[in-house]
Amino acid sequence: MEPDVSIDTSSMIRIAVVPVGDIPLHIFRDYAGMLARHHHDIQLSAITSFYTEHQKSPFSQQPWDSGSLSFKFILGGSPPSPWEDFQSNRKIHGVIGICHCPSSPDLDTVVHQFAAACKGYSSSLVQRCFAFSPGDAQLADRNDRGNKLILFPPADQRTQEIHLQTMMQDIAASLLMEFEKWVLQAESGGTILKTPLDSQASLSSEEVIKAKKRRLGRAQKTIGDYCLLAGSPVDANAHYSTALELARLTGDYFWYAGALEGGVCALLMDKAVHKDPIIEEEVKYRYNSVIVHYRKSFTQDNAQRVSPLSFELEATLKLARFLCRPELAKEVVELLTAAADGAKSLIDASDRLILYIEIARLYGTLGYHRKAAFFSRQVAQLYLQQENSLAAISAMQVLALTTKAYRVQSRASIPKYSVFNDVGSSLVDGGKLHHHLVVSLFESQWSTLQMVVLKEILLSAVRAGDPLAAWSAAARLLRSYYPLITPSGQNGLASALYNSAERLPSGTHCADPALPFVRFHSLPLHPSQMDIIKRDPGREDWWAGSAPSGPFIYTPFSKGDSINNSKQELVWVVGEPVQVLVELANPCGFDLLVNSIYLSVHSGNFDAFPISVTLPPNSSKVISLSGIPTKVGPVNIPGCLVHCFGVITEHFFKDVDNLLLGAAQGLVISDPFRCCGSGKLKTTAVPNITVVPSLPLLVSHVVGGDGAIILYEGEIRELWISVANAGTVAVEQAHISLSGKNQDSVISVDYDALKSALPLKPGAEVTIPVTLKAWQLGLVDHDVIASKSTSVNVTRPLKDASSPMLLIHYAGPADNHEEVAESVSGRCLATPLKVCVLQGLSFVKARLLSMEIPAHVGEISLGNDCADSLVKIDPYRGSWGLRFLELELSNPTDVVFEVGVSVQLESDSEFDYPKTRIDRDYSARVLIPLEHFKLPVVDASFLAPSNGKTSEKKKKAEVNAYVRKLISKIKVRWVSGRNSSGELHIKDATQAALETSIMDVLLPDPLTFSFRLVPKGDGDGGGGGGVLAHDMTPMEVLVRNNTKDSISMDLSITCRDVAGENCIEGTTSSVLWSGALSGMKVDVPPLEEIKHSFCLYFLVPGEYTLLAAAVIDDPNEILRARAPSSSLDEPIFCRGPPYHVRVNGSVC
Amino acid sequence: MTSTACFMIVSRNDIPIYEAEVGTAPKKEEAAHQHQFILHAALDVVQDLAWTTSAMFLKSVDRFNDLVVSVYVTAVSHTRLMLLHDSRNDDGIKSFFQEVHELYIKILLNPLYLPGSRVTSSHFDTKVRGLARRYL
Repeated sequence: MEPDVSIDTSSMIRIAVVPVGDIPLHIFRDYAGMLARHHHDIQLSAITSFYTEHQKSPFSQQPWDSGSLSFKFILGGSPPSPWEDFQSNRKIHGVIGICHCPSSPDLDTVVHQFAAACKGYSSSLVQRCFAFSPGDAQLADRNDRGNKLILFPPADQRTQEIHLQTMMQDIAASLLMEFEKWVLQAESGGTILKTPLDSQASLSSEEVIKAKKRRLGRAQKTIGDYCLLAGSPVDANAHYSTALELARLTGDYFWYAGALEGGVCALLMDKAVHKDPIIEEEVKYRYNSVIVHYRKSFTQDNAQRVSPLSFELEATLKLARFLCRPELAKEVVELLTAAADGAKSLIDASDRLILYIEIARLYGTLGYHRKAAFFSRQVAQLYLQQENSLAAISAMQVLALTTKAYRVQSRASIPKYSVFNDVGSSLVDGGKLHHHLVVSLFESQWSTLQMVVLKEILLSAVRAGDPLAAWSAAARLLRSYYPLITPSGQNGLASALYNSAERLPSGTHCADPALPFVRFHSLPLHPSQMDIIKRDPGREDWWAGSAPSGPFIYTPFSKGDSINNSKQELVWVVGEPVQVLVELANPCGFDLLVNSIYLSVHSGNFDAFPISVTLPPNSSKVISLSGIPTKVGPVNIPGCLVHCFGVITEHFFKDVDNLLLGAAQGLVISDPFRCCGSGKLKTTAVPNITVVPSLPLLVSHVVGGDGAIILYEGEIRELWISVANAGTVAVEQAHISLSGKNQDSVISVDYDALKSALPLKPGAEVTIPVTLKAWQLGLVDHDVIASKSTSVNVTRPLKDASSPMLLIHYAGPADNHEEVAESVSGRCLATPLKVCVLQGLSFVKARLLSMEIPAHVGEISLGNDCADSLVKIDPYRGSWGLRFLELELSNPTDVVFEVGVSVQLESDSEFDYPKTRIDRDYSARVLIPLEHFKLPVVDASFLAPSNGKTSEKKKKAEVNAYVRKLISKIKVRWVSGRNSSGELHIKDATQAALETSIMDVLLPDPLTFSFRLVPKGDGDGGGGGGVLAHDMTPMEVLVRNNTKDSISMDLSITCRDVAGENCIEGTTSSVLWSGALSGMKVDVPPLEEIKHSFCLYFLVPGEYTLLAAAVIDDPNEILRARAPSSSLDEPIFCRGPPYHVRVNGSVC
Repeated sequence: MTSTACFMIVSRNDIPIYEAEVGTAPKKEEAAHQHQFILHAALDVVQDLAWTTSAMFLKSVDRFNDLVVSVYVTAVSHTRLMLLHDSRNDDGIKSFFQEVHELYIKILLNPLYLPGSRVTSSHFDTKVRGLARRYL
């Protein structure tokens, strides 16, 4: 069988092209290529000038104006075929030698060598030797060597081609003349035509007669063949018709079929209208008859030796090739199936090879790629049966052709642009692949077949000695089908990879990745120290518009514009190392040593640092790959470069993502990450990354350690935050702000410390003092503590969530960058003030206590100079009327607290009370005296009658304001240990305690009463306890009106003894008096004092109590409001506080 | 007498979702691979032929050597039941296909089965092999 047969093969003149002399193979191929490219067909009209008609041409109907001779160049020649007589087109009719003059200087030798080469082609009619690029000496060498050696002087390609064409026309004319000669000779009847089919052993007489009968028909058929070669279909037809008649008569079916076949060729040559359906039907009909007749010619007796089967198959293939169009697919498939059936009957293995190759090619032309791949694989198997490396190379190449149909092609064979298109499209739709796209990626994944094909490729590549192809096949096999391969098989593949790599030069790249599987895991969160913020050059406060910073890339607080661009954007800075987390998986049963893995960056502005990893069997690992951006611009990271199994491969993240998607759809065998025990990860796309020019980089730490500061509630502490510039650019602008929760716990930040340090040069450091006051743990926090107290760690969860953050927005010099519009950005340093608030002194309750301590008459009205005593007398009231705010505090902590109360006086000085110590696990009550708070006047406006809700509200607000003012004057400070101090938050509790009795606290009584001794002469009675019995003691009662209206009243004074008996009235009065003591009608003008003098004479020494009381006439509303009377008609009774009088016995 | 039969279900995406060697011939791995190669190649023919007829059962669509490929194209998302066989028992093959088709529909009705993924049910496998013994 012959390869590449078609119907018009019969009309092609075969010319062997052989190398002559020493000619490098590639040069020979170039020359032969030039020959074959342009000179398949030579027009008959073009050769007339070379043609001379010696005798009358047998080709009477030759179409000189439209016909042509067609050539088939056979490079390197071919051995003569035993079927030459049967099909003349199988003969080599001409020999062209190709000689490269510079490498074979002696032309005589060339001529000899060529002559020797031609000897092998006994059928050749024309021989020429083309010598290219002759030197001057060779051109000058005019020795006549006949017209067989033709020198092609060096010239440009086009000139040479024209020269070559002329020579070919000459050859064509010579051949035509030779054909004429041959035909004339044959017509005269001298040729014996034999085929291997004719039994050669012993010709019985019967057979000789039969052969003689047949000879004429065969001659006619052969003449027809020559007519075809000479390009004269009409002549050919005529001869074939005769041949058909004769062959039918003699029962020479084989030749009958041959003539029929030639007839079809002539028909097609003549008509040259292949697509005409009538012609097509005719061709089909005739060829079917050809096939039938070839089959008929099969004789049992020589079936062991030769068989016309190959002609039958060739005819089938010719027809299939003629019909090979998608519309006629069904017929072609039938023909090809029939042809394939014939394969097992073929005796010669190479015939079967050719048959399968042709079937595969035809299926390929038809668009039946799977069929083509199937037969290609059959071809490869036939090649592999021949145990030599050349056959193995062929097998490998044939198998490489099938990889597309079996979907196992090497990435190297996929055009580059499509890979990049793929990457691009995934970027466009944001990493989301549509379902059908995913499905299409895994279409036709027939794993059994794929594994077999890859194994065969591996086998053939190993045999052919192509380590790279072997590596690639083993890599594909291992990567895609590891779940279907036993651990020992996996080990075998791994060693195949290593063995192949040993034969490769180090640093070889392969397009097909092996293991491990690499997927993009995440980008480590930008350390908050390194946040980069777009700077609005137009604004002074460029940081203001930026999104609130923090550990989150997305915050719900950023509005509008930053939300709607869904694709993450990331900014890297030139010269600052960055990290990318990738996850590696080794699903195979052996230890995988990854010699080096690093990020593959195509944009060329990134230096990646390789690392080496070992992955145990069936394991996955998240590793961090780092690198440094080197130039400004976008960075594109499609995957990783991996040096594993001795070869460098590029692993794309997208492939693995697709694989995982496929696994999720049930289309792929298994998910390499899940089978390694790694959790399901949402596929994340690599964000768009831009590199910006270098920026300053501030690094902060809290002086004294970056750990959380443990503070008790309300504790005040000063911190020093040290900020250093670790970048290469000076900080020129900086701004400090606060964010996060509990911002108000930062009492002060020394902004000026930073401002004055600007510009902060690289390496420079500045310390910023910050004062913190620990906030109060809320209810929730307490709950958290309560619930956590059962678990191990109590305090930790609280620290991060609620700590405030110090934000320092800073930037380098603004005029540093030329492209102001774009990449001017600043940075934000977020320093969390890590505070861990512990429950400190806890506040149990607050209440208001009031008590009255009777005053001694002698001690009153001595002025306010005794302000340093703990308990002070009320100047307006006269007695030791005290109100205390009692705070009950408990100390649940394990340290000791000392609590001190200080009150801010009106003169802006503070008054401290002695400290109270509260031991651990104890409670204590702290009393805060509420004095100094009284208003001087009972104001009408203050107690204005409620006219409506608005005034009610207003009143309430006013009262509250007073309360707040009052409370803010009280500070409860505590000290614990050596360096903890703080303040209790008592506001709310106090407010609650005070709310009900605020009036009492704030407002003085409308009237105050006090008693005093009237100094006698030199004033010796002014001292305490200077009252003697049996002595007339002059006294005064002072009544002060604290309102703005004058009050008229009925004043009375009583005196009681220790037992509480009235000593003035009654039966056993022990006190005598002079002056009025009751029923005194007095008017007290507003805000003034009246004095009423009287004298008492104590009969018995002892303790007495003086009381003043008044019944107010015509009380106004204010008084009524203050008085605890219920009805309007009831007289308002005002009572002063009791005064003690110690009466000493007379000094005897 | 031994017979060869290789039954496969090929999903719409040309991915085999079920495969079984149901012949009585002794099992050889290489032969099984070859069977699958033949079935795979036959898909080219089936893909054209399926649109030219309304019948679901396409008998002997393709052959290689002595092995014949018969196909049953289901309406359910164009899943193809393919049988490679060397017997010529067309009626038996047709019944076999029809019964397997019913089994396959039952598999499809399983809400946990993802259409287009492999059929891993051992029950299905047992049933198919039983049908093969009965009809082929």
